[in-house]
Amino acid sequence: MATDTQATAPAHVDERAVVRHLKAGIVYAAIGVLLAAGALAFLGGDRETVFTLDRTLTDASWTLPTLPTVIAMAAVVAACGAWMLLGLRRGLFKLASAIAVAAIVFALISWSVSEPGMVFRAESILAGAVFLSLPFIFGALSGVVCERSGVINIGIEGQFLMGAFTGVLVANITGNVYAGMLGAMLAGALTTMLLAMLSTKYQVNQVVVGVILNLLALGFTSFMYDQLKKTEGYNSAYGVPSNALDGIGLGFLADIPLVGPVLFAQNIFVYVGLVAVFVVWFLLFRTRWGLRTRSVGEHPAAADSMGVAVNRLRFWNVTAAGLVSGFGGAFFTLANSLAFTKNMTAGLGFVALAVMIVGRWNPLGVLAGALIFGFASQMAEYLDVAGNSIVPGPFLQMLPYVVTLVVVAGLIGRAKAPAADGVPYNPGDK
Amino acid sequence: MRLELKGLTKKFGSFTADDDIDLTVEPGQIHAVLGENGAGKSTLMNMLYGILKPTSGEILIDDEPVAFSGPGDAIAAGIGMVHQHFKLVGPFSVADNVQLGREHTRGAGVLSARAARRAVLDVSEQYGLRLDPDAICEDLPVGVQQRVEIVKALSGPRTELLILDEPTAVLTPAEIGELLDIMRSLAEAGTSILFISHKLKEVQAVADTVTVIRRGKVVAELEPTASETEMASAMVGREVSLTVDKTPAEPGEPSLEISGLTVVGETGVKVLDGLDLTVRAGEIVGLAGVEGNGQTELARAVLGLIRPDAGTIAVDGRRVDRDSPAQRIERGLGYIPEDRARDGLINEFTVAENIVLNQYRDRPFAKGGVIDAAAIRRRAEESIAEFDIRTQGPAEPASSLSGGNQQKVVIAREFSRPRRLLVAAQPTRGVDVGATEFIHSRLVTERDTGTGVLLISSELDEIYALADRIAVIYNGRIVGEVGPDTPREVIGRLMVGAEPDGAETEAADSAAVADFDAESPAAPDTATTDDDANGGDRDH
Repeated sequence: MATDTQATAPAHVDERAVVRHLKAGIVYAAIGVLLAAGALAFLGGDRETVFTLDRTLTDASWTLPTLPTVIAMAAVVAACGAWMLLGLRRGLFKLASAIAVAAIVFALISWSVSEPGMVFRAESILAGAVFLSLPFIFGALSGVVCERSGVINIGIEGQFLMGAFTGVLVANITGNVYAGMLGAMLAGALTTMLLAMLSTKYQVNQVVVGVILNLLALGFTSFMYDQLKKTEGYNSAYGVPSNALDGIGLGFLADIPLVGPVLFAQNIFVYVGLVAVFVVWFLLFRTRWGLRTRSVGEHPAAADSMGVAVNRLRFWNVTAAGLVSGFGGAFFTLANSLAFTKNMTAGLGFVALAVMIVGRWNPLGVLAGALIFGFASQMAEYLDVAGNSIVPGPFLQMLPYVVTLVVVAGLIGRAKAPAADGVPYNPGDK
Repeated sequence: MRLELKGLTKKFGSFTADDDIDLTVEPGQIHAVLGENGAGKSTLMNMLYGILKPTSGEILIDDEPVAFSGPGDAIAAGIGMVHQHFKLVGPFSVADNVQLGREHTRGAGVLSARAARRAVLDVSEQYGLRLDPDAICEDLPVGVQQRVEIVKALSGPRTELLILDEPTAVLTPAEIGELLDIMRSLAEAGTSILFISHKLKEVQAVADTVTVIRRGKVVAELEPTASETEMASAMVGREVSLTVDKTPAEPGEPSLEISGLTVVGETGVKVLDGLDLTVRAGEIVGLAGVEGNGQTELARAVLGLIRPDAGTIAVDGRRVDRDSPAQRIERGLGYIPEDRARDGLINEFTVAENIVLNQYRDRPFAKGGVIDAAAIRRRAEESIAEFDIRTQGPAEPASSLSGGNQQKVVIAREFSRPRRLLVAAQPTRGVDVGATEFIHSRLVTERDTGTGVLLISSELDEIYALADRIAVIYNGRIVGEVGPDTPREVIGRLMVGAEPDGAETEAADSAAVADFDAESPAAPDTATTDDDANGGDRDH
C-alpha cells in the first residue's frame, strides 16, 4: 500500500524554451534609443558625473564622463530589448528586465547629477534612503502581521496620523521623547483595535472599515491640531538624538567607508526598524504564534478544526500590529524632530501597503521593497534641493509613486496574498 | 473507545437537522453512516467533533457523558476527524500541518522543526502511512493529502476514534483501495472508525455495522451484507433502480470533434496537452479520470470560456473555436457545468429566470428588448412539471432549492432549446440518489433523440451506467478509449497514467488494490465479508 499514484508528472511548459516578448522588447528598445538620442541632443560632451564618499573619506571621488556613461547604459537597455524581441529563455526574462531597469536608473542618476557643481554624495544619499524607508518598513510590517492573520489593514495611513500626533502630544506633556514613542504605539493599537473588533466580532467589510478609520484619524488629528494650536506647549517639536547610539561602541564602526554612515551612525528609529524586520520575520516563521497566525490567514477552518481560536488570534494580532504602525507614525514627528501638521503623512501609509505587496507579505521582502522606495524618495529630495536638475521639483515628488507602478507592474507581477485575506471567519464555515 | 450517542438532536431555528439520533460505536469497529446529501450526516459529525453544540441529547465516551466546547476538547477526548473538505493549509509543509494546534517547541514558543518531522515519521511508520514531512501540502496528489489528514487525526494525544467524512469522494480507485486497507488495519489495531459515506460499494466493503439516516432520523440499522438496492432504498425512502435501462447506441455523424487541444495553465503547466476526442451523434462518451487532469478546462474550452493555446474544436463539422459561448449555444451546444454554484445558476434570480437564462433574448420571452414575464412564467411552469423540480413556485429564488433540484433547473434550461451536442460535467455531483436516477434517464433519452453527449464524471459507476464508449483522460491527454465493458482495473490503471496492459509489476500491484471490491491480497485476514456481498453486480 501507500504507492504514490502519480506515475508521470504533468507536462510543463519547457523553462528553457525560447520565447519572444514583443511588447516588453519594443518598450525597452525604444527607451534605450530615446535615452541615447536625448543624451546626444541635450548633454554636452564636457559633462561629468562625480561620485564621492562625503562623510568618511571626504577626498575620495570617482568621475565618469556623463555622455559616454548614459549612452553605454542606453545601449544596455536597448540590447535587453533586442534580446527580448529575438527571443530568450523563459527563465531569463526577469533577469533581462532587472538589468534594463537598473541601467535606466543608473543612466538617469548619472545624467541628473551631472549639472556643474553637483556631486553624488553616496553616503549621505544612501543613509537618507535608509532613513526614509522607515515609514514603509513600519507600515508594511503592520500590514504583514494583519494580512497574514487574514485581516486587510488599509487603515495604516490613519494609524500613522494617530501615532504622529499622539507621539508629539505625549512627548510634550511628559517631557520625555521615549514616552512619546510609547504613546504613539498605544494610539496605533487603539485605532487597530477598532478594526480588529469590527472585522472579527461583527464581520464588517474590512476595506470599508479601513477607509473610514483613515478618514476618522484625519478628521480627529486635524481637529485636535486646531484646538491645541491655541495653547502653547502641546505641539512643539520633539526629537530623538540623531545619533542615539553614539558612545556605546558604534563610534569606530561609523568610520567604515560607505557602511559606517549608512548603518552605524543613524537615528534610533532606524535600529528599531531594522530589528523589527528580523523580529517579525522570526516570529512569523519560527514560532508557534507565527504558525498559527499564518494558518489563520490561509485556511481559518483548518486552524479552527485543530483547536486554534481563529477570531481571538486575529483580534490580538491586528491590535498588536497597531503598535508597529503607531510607532511608524512617530517617525513623521519624533524621528524628524517636527511638530505635528495636518495630514503630514501625505499618503505614505498607502505606499506602505504597496511595499507590503512588493515584499510579498514577507518581512524580508518588505525590507527590500522599503529600501527601493526610500531610495526613490531620497533621490527626489536630493535632486529637488539641489535645484538645478533637468526635471522640475514637483515632478520629482512623483518619483516614488512612479517607481511603485513600475516595480509592481513590471518586476513583481502577480503576488499571491494569503488565501483568507479579508475574509471574515464564521465557525462552522467549510 | 466506545462511543454512544443518545437522543442527539440539532435544530437550526425551526429546521431540525438531526432528530433524536441513537448510535453506538464499539471499540475497533468500523461503523458506517449512510445518508443522502442533507440527511444530517455532517451536522452529526460536527456535533461529535465539537464544532456545533447539540440542542439536546448526550454523547457518551466509555459510558461517561462528555460536552465539547470546541474541536480542541474533542481532540483531547481522543477523537480525530478527517473532513470531507480537507482542512490542510496549502502552503504549509506536512509536518507543520500535522503539528498545528499542538506544536512541538523548544520552549518559549519557538518551533522545533526536527521534533515535528520526527513525530510525523513516528506516526506514519506506526500505521504504515508513508509521508514526506517536508513536502508542501498543496503540491501533493489528493490521495497523499488525505494520508496527511489521517496522520493528523492520529497524531492527537490519544486518538481512539476516527471520523472519516466522505473520505473517498476525491480519490482514484487505487487510492480508495489503499484507504479501505488503511481503515481495516486501523480497526484491527483497536481504533474505532465512524465512516460517513453515500457510496454503497465501499460501505459494503469495510463496514461492520451500517446506520442509515434520512431527514435527520435513524431509519435503519443494516448488516454490511445487505444488498445495494436495500441500502439505497433505505436512504431514499422508496424503491430505486440503480441500473439505467438503455438500448445499444446508434452513433451517427461526429457532433463534436476536438483535435490537438492545448491549454496552458497559470503556472506554465499544460493542463490540456494536444487532446483529441470525437463524440458522435447518438452516443454517450464517458470521460473518466481523476479530477484535476484537465476535465474542467476541457469542458470550459468547448463552451468557449477559455481560449485554447492550440488545437481546434468543431461542432457538427463546423469550427467554433473563435466563436463566443453565446454563438456556440446558438449552434446547438448544451452545457451542464460541474460547478453549479459558480457557472450553473444565478442564485439570487428566480427559478423562472434561471430556466430561460440561455434564451431570454429570443421570442417569445422577449419582444423588442423587453422581457415578457408571462411567457417566461409559462415556460417555467412547464419545465417545473416536466422535470419534477420541487419548488414552491417559479418565483422562488434558485438559492432556496436543494442541490438536486437546482441541478434539475440547470438541466431543464439546457434541454429547453434545440441542441446537437450536450456537455455534461459531473451532472449528478451533490445530487441525491432519487434525482440521480432521473438525470441519468434524461441523459439516455437525450442520446436516443440523436444528440451527442460528452459525459465528464469522476464517478466510475456513473460512467459505467451511461457511457457507450469510455475515454480516459490523464495529464491533459486522452490515454485510452475503451468499450463500456472494459474491466474496472484496466480503467483504474489508465486513470493513473500506467500502461493498460499491466506489463509493469508496479502497475499490477496497484491494480490489485484498485479493485477494492475483490478481496485484496494485501489484507487476506480482514474480517469483512465483501467478497460474497459484491460478487453479483460486477460489470465484468
